[in-house]
Amino acid sequence: MKLRQNKPDDEIPTSSMADIAFLLIIYFMVTTTFAATRGLDFSLPKDDDQPPVVEKEDSVLVEILPNGDLLVDQKPMEQGDVLEYLKPKLENNPKKPVIIKPDQNAPYGGMVGVFDVLRQAKIFERELIKRADRPEMTDEEWDEGKDINISIPTQREIESFWF
Amino acid sequence: MRLKARHEQQSIIPTASMADIAFLLIVFFMVTITFEKDKTQVALPKTELRFEVPKIAAYISVTEQGQIRVTDGESMSTPVGRVDDVDAFAANLVASYPKRPVVLKADADVPYRHIDRIIDSLKQAKVELIYLLSEQKTVEELSGG
Repeated sequence: MKLRQNKPDDEIPTSSMADIAFLLIIYFMVTTTFAATRGLDFSLPKDDDQPPVVEKEDSVLVEILPNGDLLVDQKPMEQGDVLEYLKPKLENNPKKPVIIKPDQNAPYGGMVGVFDVLRQAKIFERELIKRADRPEMTDEEWDEGKDINISIPTQREIESFWF
Repeated sequence: MRLKARHEQQSIIPTASMADIAFLLIVFFMVTITFEKDKTQVALPKTELRFEVPKIAAYISVTEQGQIRVTDGESMSTPVGRVDDVDAFAANLVASYPKRPVVLKADADVPYRHIDRIIDSLKQAKVELIYLLSEQKTVEELSGG
């Protein structure tokens, strides 16, 4: 007589696997902090011993006052108007140097705001230079050898070399 | 007449592939996660232009109160007691990793003299490239100037 055996099913219980996986996902999502990974690049002068020779009258001087207000070439100006002020000057001389001179008590945000505007001016300037001298260069090639003519002299440099 | 018992179909939601999907998501998170070397919370300045900061970079963070933390990008950031110590940090950094850029992560309201001192240290140590970390200006802020 053949006996009928009641065999248990061979099964790996996987129903809790998803629960574990989702718990891990939730852990990653909660602990992940979105790092700020963008900002403005600023090339420092290659050789500190030889400060760039900049004629004061040739350059545009942007001063930042302690309250964050701007003086551009001794004239008070809103941050939004700086770009329009610079454009005709850059059209005349695309390599015009710009100097940012923040007051020691001015907020850092003010300096970054001005630098942002000047970087935009430099992109405008790049277009001018490219159109005039190097129409064959791509933006990447131009960026390779870029020398952004924006100086932010430190207090030590101002005391040592400037005045 | 006796009716034959109906054979009901079992209602099952197939959950076997759920774990696969979840593990795919985990792998995605694990691959894309970058561990921050500096976790200082600061209100960054806002700018219109923003460029990608290299993943391997040294960080200097400055809080609104002027507290400075530094890291060469290899270990977690450590606080710096005096601003003069940034000189030593910058010199060591350039000696160890000459081409490594430095990311400046400073609060928008910190007085500029702290930043001036740090930039001066970096210039003297002959650091070539720095990044001023910023947040994106919103459309409202752009139209408001």
